Amino acid sequence: MFDGMMKILKMTCKDIYPLISESQDHPLPFCDRTRLKMHLAICGLCEIYNKQLDIICKMAQSLGKEDAKVREDTSMKPEVKEKIKKWIAEKN
Amino acid sequence: MSKEILDPQNWVDLYADMMYRFSLVRVKDPEAADELVQATFFAALKSQHTFAGKSSEKTWLFGILKHKIMDYFRSSKKHISIDPTSSEETDRIQFDSSGHMNPKPTNWNMDPEKAAENSELAKVLASCLEGLPDKFHKLFVMKEIEGMSSEKICNEFDIKPTNLWVILHRARNQLKQCMESNWLNTK
Repeated sequence: MFDGMMKILKMTCKDIYPLISESQDHPLPFCDRTRLKMHLAICGLCEIYNKQLDIICKMAQSLGKEDAKVREDTSMKPEVKEKIKKWIAEKN
Repeated sequence: MSKEILDPQNWVDLYADMMYRFSLVRVKDPEAADELVQATFFAALKSQHTFAGKSSEKTWLFGILKHKIMDYFRSSKKHISIDPTSSEETDRIQFDSSGHMNPKPTNWNMDPEKAAENSELAKVLASCLEGLPDKFHKLFVMKEIEGMSSEKICNEFDIKPTNLWVILHRARNQLKQCMESNWLNTK
């Protein structure tokens, strides 16, 4: 029991940080989840990293929305649009 | 509720740019995005009779576009694995001898729930996304933007779960570092 506890507490950021990304993909097994939770509680840097990944994930979701405001200046080339308009008019 | 009707003459003016941006964020390649939008309008025109008017015209068109995008991903399907010789695919995060991240991650000082409202940061993320290696980009898009489950991605694209996980992990790290160097350091 004591050895187990020591093992958890001695985990370095290097050992822990892959779990942070993994926890975004699927629920971690109980043991890993506990290790991660305990580490985040005592390690400010990993907590920051955890938050960074969370921000990236939330922002990526919003970038993919139909009416995403990002890059509103990006548009289709006018000649491509004209081409499509023309054949829509012909075929419709 | 009044029944929605289709108005193909106005499709290009109303939706082309929106659909183009929606595609571009997913497929990276402007020509491919052009083709996806064209293919969507083409398919929509042919299947106008299937439009029941229950959803809006926009929702219906985007539904077709989403299918086209998945077809595009499937058509470029090839075995995806990490290339150990490629420097652009390595994990960029370094650690010092005591096992701490080096350099230290910077506090972005924002609530993840509100991050999406930050349009400046969203622009940086969009261009960082474009800079990812192709297979990183594709899997990241499927996982985070399309919201597909890891299981489905592995099945559809014939990729081992461990490979998927390593690629997503490295993609996130590259994005994080790209954002730190392009936005946060200029603040």
